[in-house]
Amino acid sequence: MRTLVEVVARAGPGGRTVLPVVRASGQLAVRRTGPTTVHLVATAFGPLGGDDAVVRLVVEAGARLAVRTVAAAVVLPARGESPPSVQRVHAEVAGVLDLQPEPTVVTAGAHHRAVLHAELDEDAELTAAELVQLGRTGEEPGRWTGTTRVTRAGVPVLHTTVALGPGAAAWLPPVAPRAWASTVHLGRAAARVTGEDAVRLPLDRGWVASAWGDRLAGTRAGLALLEGVPPVEEVLS
Amino acid sequence: MTAALLALADSRLPAGGHTHSGGVEQAIAAGVVSDPRSLETFLRRRLTTSGSTAAGLAAAACRTAGGPRTGAAPAPAGDRVAALRALDREAEARTPSPALRAASRQQGRGLVRVGRRAWPDPVWDDLPAHPHHPLALGVAAAVAGLAPGDAAAAAAYLSITGPATAAQRLLAMDPITVAVVTARLGDAVDEVSAAAVPDADGWLPAGTDPLLDLLAEVHADRTDRFFAS
Repeated sequence: MRTLVEVVARAGPGGRTVLPVVRASGQLAVRRTGPTTVHLVATAFGPLGGDDAVVRLVVEAGARLAVRTVAAAVVLPARGESPPSVQRVHAEVAGVLDLQPEPTVVTAGAHHRAVLHAELDEDAELTAAELVQLGRTGEEPGRWTGTTRVTRAGVPVLHTTVALGPGAAAWLPPVAPRAWASTVHLGRAAARVTGEDAVRLPLDRGWVASAWGDRLAGTRAGLALLEGVPPVEEVLS
Repeated sequence: MTAALLALADSRLPAGGHTHSGGVEQAIAAGVVSDPRSLETFLRRRLTTSGSTAAGLAAAACRTAGGPRTGAAPAPAGDRVAALRALDREAEARTPSPALRAASRQQGRGLVRVGRRAWPDPVWDDLPAHPHHPLALGVAAAVAGLAPGDAAAAAAYLSITGPATAAQRLLAMDPITVAVVTARLGDAVDEVSAAAVPDADGWLPAGTDPLLDLLAEVHADRTDRFFAS
């Protein structure tokens, strides 16, 4: 099944943000839940193997947009030989975009591909989080492949593909995590931090933090520890 | 032209690769690598993530640099400078770890130093000052008369031989054992170099292993290390 979500955020009168385009078709509905916030609501089980979702976000200069989801996405395999399900988020950002969906749970036999392609203007701000759990409790892990490409003024600042789960070439014991949490931020710089199964790396006026483990709760806590460390500029100023 | 490929992939080529362990020194310290089996696992991780990314960039740099076997019409020098600079930024975006960025640029510079003398060509001047290693490798392949696929193969192969040799030294492993481990990865090296092409989005491979990033950053803080990375 094909799903398409489109949201445009535009600077309105008095510094407010207006959303001239808020539409969705397929397996997701979109609801405006705050002045600058939309929630994506799943209208069907899934995604299922073979499903294809595209989320197009445009945040114009001076506008802010926060994107959330109402519940975890539980990725299920299609019957028989299940092709991957794909979700592509394409964001054009001149203002401020904050993308923090609930976790993606990839059940046994399913393979989910997540692509975030964010094209930022010079002064845009982006925060994008990803939370993944392979397999429900007591279940074999599914497979997840996540690609993140962020450009600023046409220059790539981050482009990585992380592949987890059975069948992923580098998902090999003893380090074969079932939980993955990652946040990329462009806007303010932050220093490098290392933790246990967690690392934050500086980017040009930004950072990317990742944590991994067996359970998402502990992994999120590891990520939060990294994010809680104030940027060095703050400490020094 | 096979001799040029062998020379590029030869650990005796004095490009400075021997001072880097490709993360294996810290992997040993962290207990991730301790014996032949865990070394093979580590090398496979590295090959299919950073090795695959390096292979894609090396092949693209080789194509950009032109040369008799790249199948590309020679681009005007100005375009080549811009294209290699763009590729260098792609490499930077695929290497978020500061320690790994520094290691890649160090080895890139080392390879340019020897490559310029071994295969003199004005194309070397089109590279940025401290290029990422895969770019230097791609240009070296082009000026030595090799094809993009050769550049990819060299990058993929070097992504495991450096750390394999480092592990042999650090763990005092039997050289035959290490040779066997490397040889067993031969098919995987071929698969990675064959896949070193842009995908449907036009994006080069970007495989990354957060474990390697973490190990590299922890390693960079150590004062008792033998290897630069």
